Amino acid sequence: MKRLVAFLRTVRTERRVRTDGGTADERSTAGRWRDSDFLQSAPFWGPPLVLMGLFVYGAIGWNFLLSLTDHSGFGRPDYTDLGLQNYWAMIQDPSIWEATRNTVVLLVVFTLACLAVGLVLAILLDREIRFGRTFRTVYLLPFALSFIVTAQFWRWMYNVNDGIINQFFGLFGLGPYNWLGDPRLVLGAVIFALVWQFSGYTMVIYLAALRSIPTAQYEAARVDGAGTFRMYRRVIVPQLRPAIVSATVVLVLFALKAFDFLYAVFDGYRPRQGSDILATKMMREGFNNSEWAYSSAIGLTLFVLSLAVIAPYLYTQYKRGNL
Amino acid sequence: MSNNNSRSRRRVLQGVGAASAAGMASLAGCLTGEEESENTLEVLHGWTGGDGAEAADALFSAFEEEHSDVDLNNKPIGGGGNENLDQTVSTRLNSGDPPSAFAGWPGSNLEQYDGVLGDIQSDVWEEAGLEDAHVEEAVEACQFDDGYSAVPIGSHRMNDLFYNVGVLEDAGVDPESLDDVDALIDALGTIESETDATPLAMSLEAWAILQTWTVVMLSTQGYDAYMSFIEGDGDESAVRDTFETLEELLSNYINDDAASVGFTEVNQDIMSGDAAFIHEGNWVAGAYINEDLEYGEEWDAIRYPGTEDMYGLHIDSFIYPGDNPSPEATATFLRFAGGETAQVAFNQYKGSIPTRSDVSTEEFNDYLTETIEDFEAASEKPPTLAHGLAVDQSTQSSLEDVLNNNFADPFDVDAATAGFMDAI
Repeated sequence: MKRLVAFLRTVRTERRVRTDGGTADERSTAGRWRDSDFLQSAPFWGPPLVLMGLFVYGAIGWNFLLSLTDHSGFGRPDYTDLGLQNYWAMIQDPSIWEATRNTVVLLVVFTLACLAVGLVLAILLDREIRFGRTFRTVYLLPFALSFIVTAQFWRWMYNVNDGIINQFFGLFGLGPYNWLGDPRLVLGAVIFALVWQFSGYTMVIYLAALRSIPTAQYEAARVDGAGTFRMYRRVIVPQLRPAIVSATVVLVLFALKAFDFLYAVFDGYRPRQGSDILATKMMREGFNNSEWAYSSAIGLTLFVLSLAVIAPYLYTQYKRGNL
Repeated sequence: MSNNNSRSRRRVLQGVGAASAAGMASLAGCLTGEEESENTLEVLHGWTGGDGAEAADALFSAFEEEHSDVDLNNKPIGGGGNENLDQTVSTRLNSGDPPSAFAGWPGSNLEQYDGVLGDIQSDVWEEAGLEDAHVEEAVEACQFDDGYSAVPIGSHRMNDLFYNVGVLEDAGVDPESLDDVDALIDALGTIESETDATPLAMSLEAWAILQTWTVVMLSTQGYDAYMSFIEGDGDESAVRDTFETLEELLSNYINDDAASVGFTEVNQDIMSGDAAFIHEGNWVAGAYINEDLEYGEEWDAIRYPGTEDMYGLHIDSFIYPGDNPSPEATATFLRFAGGETAQVAFNQYKGSIPTRSDVSTEEFNDYLTETIEDFEAASEKPPTLAHGLAVDQSTQSSLEDVLNNNFADPFDVDAATAGFMDAI
């Protein structure tokens, strides 16, 4: 990282030397254009720009166009008659509202829980406890596993009759609970499994930030008479803001697309009642019902939601000159 | 740093950049892929696991034996209960790159492919004389747009109620005496009180509820009421009664984990003696046979009480896309698929039966032989609601939505009835 920064700095200085070189006036505009950094660096940024532009932004644009048609079934979409009827239909569709509600609940609860659990783990590990490194690996490992694998684990663990979760509750005379079958429990059960998998990730982000805080500040807080809790609350955690922000963005974006986990848990596009999210609804409309335009409209809504989440982050980064 | 120095380094960098750009362009070139020859037959299907893979192997090797001149590209796409297959098919049909043929349900299911299917009436149906060889229902199911767009390969029975013989003996229940759903409910109660086994093994996946709903409606309301319902002219009280009966069955006699397991998992309970009855398509019989369980001794089946003279009709077929990449080879394959050799090769392993009425039962096991005899003798063959025959894809999907949201524990008869009446 440091090397990269140093390299970028030399590139900057070079440019300064060149533009201050004084020969620019004598050259023609075309020559200046040919020699400009912009054009000379084009082979580097050009191909990725074309590929990204075409496959990401072009696809988003096309998807929007598609969502304005009434394309369903097979054949070519008709782009001559565009309108917002799919968005209007979405507003009137109760299952869209249910999916939206579940998406938002998943997003908020999952993100907050991951941030909280990750923070607690990070602070514990930051206290230099014994076997700290081992614990760090233990907590981080679930994040390295594929959703297909963890979803299958949780399917077994949540089993009503012989799942380990119900066995555990059984020790206290509780249950059995139908974790993945009961519409009132299923979303919570899914969120819990996802928090288990992702809190290791937030922990690592926090831990990196904690490690970068100078020891002097801990000592100063101690000298001023702060207890451990107070020290973290007043001195340390406020300094974690950038870490919290970047972790939040990643978590929220994931939560919006928690499709693969649900797909693996429920073995298809149709999750149990109470756990349908916009992403699964979109897949069902598109690939089960061939309602391509409607599916596109749901997809675009999902995209706008993601954008709404990421926009404030991008904006603050931009204002601070980080972009 | 001198200007010259930086210039030469820049040249090197430019070279690298240009090379990478050229590399990317050539990669993009590769993406277009190679053209397959006219004679390459590409068949997509979802038979990847257990009995399905074996059946597909038997079918395709029989074909290759008979038509070694055709270059066969057999592409199984498994997973998600045909979801991955359907997705691949729809993507390819949509992008104008159809396969030669793909496996799918005929009947109303074909409607979703409106505009992209081809006609094989003269090249396949008439040339191979399939119209007279196959049963009337299968012939009708493959008709589309004043012609034919599919060829049936086999049929599963949808109204069998399988049971573990030992469990029923322990409970003192005589399956042959069950002549209506009320008798079945009594028997389930007896099993519950007399044994530790689950009386009725069930998965509450939407399609599984739908197929059991179908058979309960056939049993309690009769064939005509069912046919009116699927034709969009259903009687609300018949639908409500069906849901009430189904609620009684599902809320009292099924396994606790029904909402979170698939049918293969619950079928294990039948094999291990932890459950007594299961209503499923007769593909579950394949699992019993693979486990070397003895038909009649360890497992057996009765017709779902009240549907004794019916054959719950399910059909698998190969569908023919228009704009076909290999019209000749595809026609050759489809004529073969509709013939006796293919139907025997495929169905004996698949656990289904031929839709031809002239096939010898020699190669089939006892269970399938009886099924074939029933198929010929059945007075009615109601088309399945959960497998594309009775209603089109989007209607079927709406019905499944209704069940998933209202009738997958907890069971809401009012909402489910209203939802069903709305959907069709």
